[in-house]
Amino acid sequence: MLFVLFPFAWMLSTALKSPEEQFKIPPTLLPSVPTLHNFSSVLHHSMFIDYFLNSLLIASATTLLVIIVTLFSAYSFSRLTFPGRKMSSCLIIFSQLFPLAAIIVPIYGIMSTIGLINTRFSLVIANFSFTVPISVWLLRGFLEGIPYELEEAAMIDGCSRLQAFLRIILPLSRPGMAATSAYIFFVSWQEFMFALTFITDEAKRTLPVGILDFVGQYETNWGNLMAASILICLPVFILFMVLQRQLVAGLTKGSLKG
Amino acid sequence: MRGEVKKTGSDFFIGYGLILPTLFLLGVIVFYPLTYTFYLSLFDTSLILPKPSFIGFQGYAKIASSTTLWLVIKNSLIWTIIVVIFQFVLGLSAAVLLNQKFIGRTLARGIVILPYVMPGIITAMVWRLMYDPQLGIINKFLYELGVIKTYTAWLGQPKTALFAVIFSCIWKGFPFSTIMYLAALQTIPRDLCEAAELDGANKWQTFITITIPQMMPVIRVTVLLTWIGTFNYFELVWVMTKGGPTKSSHIFPTYIYEVAFQHFRFGPASRYAVISFLILLIFSILYIRELSKKGVLK
Repeated sequence: MLFVLFPFAWMLSTALKSPEEQFKIPPTLLPSVPTLHNFSSVLHHSMFIDYFLNSLLIASATTLLVIIVTLFSAYSFSRLTFPGRKMSSCLIIFSQLFPLAAIIVPIYGIMSTIGLINTRFSLVIANFSFTVPISVWLLRGFLEGIPYELEEAAMIDGCSRLQAFLRIILPLSRPGMAATSAYIFFVSWQEFMFALTFITDEAKRTLPVGILDFVGQYETNWGNLMAASILICLPVFILFMVLQRQLVAGLTKGSLKG
Repeated sequence: MRGEVKKTGSDFFIGYGLILPTLFLLGVIVFYPLTYTFYLSLFDTSLILPKPSFIGFQGYAKIASSTTLWLVIKNSLIWTIIVVIFQFVLGLSAAVLLNQKFIGRTLARGIVILPYVMPGIITAMVWRLMYDPQLGIINKFLYELGVIKTYTAWLGQPKTALFAVIFSCIWKGFPFSTIMYLAALQTIPRDLCEAAELDGANKWQTFITITIPQMMPVIRVTVLLTWIGTFNYFELVWVMTKGGPTKSSHIFPTYIYEVAFQHFRFGPASRYAVISFLILLIFSILYIRELSKKGVLK
């Protein structure tokens, strides 16, 4: 517990220190006079809100698009049989197993060829590379948890496959979709390598790259940096707290099977 | 479980129609770039020579004779092996502890997961601060405990940099193993352990002879997944040390990145990428085989 919590405590303690205290050598364990000074200076930092909005926009767009596209294939994998299914399934798993660093150069090339370098949209597309496979995987697990009999009954009663999908699967898979969306949001929110490489314009930066603003060439403003870190962590922590049960179920499902 | 699905012609078309967008996306954004990396690795490029010239496998021969390649391979293996071992041990022990009944268990389970949920870049920053030679709390503690005589720049020395990052990577990633093992522990039938205890086995014997074998499939998958994830992990090393000092903490992803986007030498970067891909391929195949055995890929 101590091992787990200590860095968090240190982050909070540093964020609450006054500007004079944070540069004390040796460091003090707890701030003598806790102050919210760092938080307010982060929020007044000229770009922080822009970074925040960029991150929010990119993570949300990624989540929405990925869920739409992968819901279809997850349905297909969980409900339909067709030749080549196993093969495609393998391909999808395989695509999340190698280093993104191995494909970043060509992706960078594609983006500059089609003129998307230095746009927020390029990050949404690049995020597909690691969110699509995991999303198919998670959604498929959730869909397989929905008894096929329900759909079958509806189809016997005269529903078409599409109607059965819309009326049975879609409502029942809502918790699974929520958990999957949360996970995609969570990984896109913290994506760093593409954001660092593709975006040159300060105004288009996302939080993980933007936070490097607080790291100075010679001296780092640790108080501000830690306050900003806490603000970046909050959305994902909250998301995680709310959806913890489904997320854990989704993450462990694939490997517990059989 | 899936019911019997009738095989009809329409299944075939709908089935393909529905996965096509996904496969298309992956093709464009993953498989095409991967192929292109292989292609690019046969060329020489540099800033002065913007037009790539074909050199075949010569480029590979050149990096094989450089010390950097071997250093990066060595670092990558040290990094991955130590992190995987400790995440396994720590993840399993935490899971066993959290599987006991005690007050505040739900809260404890929530808290243990936090490092995993913390964005990688923030993890890197917090640990950088803790390792800071003057302002860092780690030096203060170790100094007061008498472990070190002078304040040390943990991330600034070739001898310690890689290990310092390894330590924070273990902290960051072990909760994932805990989640997996905890879920596995909960699926082990209680009567199995009770039967063993009735037969006179103590807790430790039960754990070794019943629990561990029962968990083995999950352990294999989790270890492979952490291996792959750790081998590919970029931002922790990049933000904490940038691979330095003097390349001492470079692993494949960071070195590929540095060569590609700081020196703009895409040819060599691609060669390193291909090599790291090939090393990882072994583990990816093992992982897919493991899933296939369980019928997950059916």
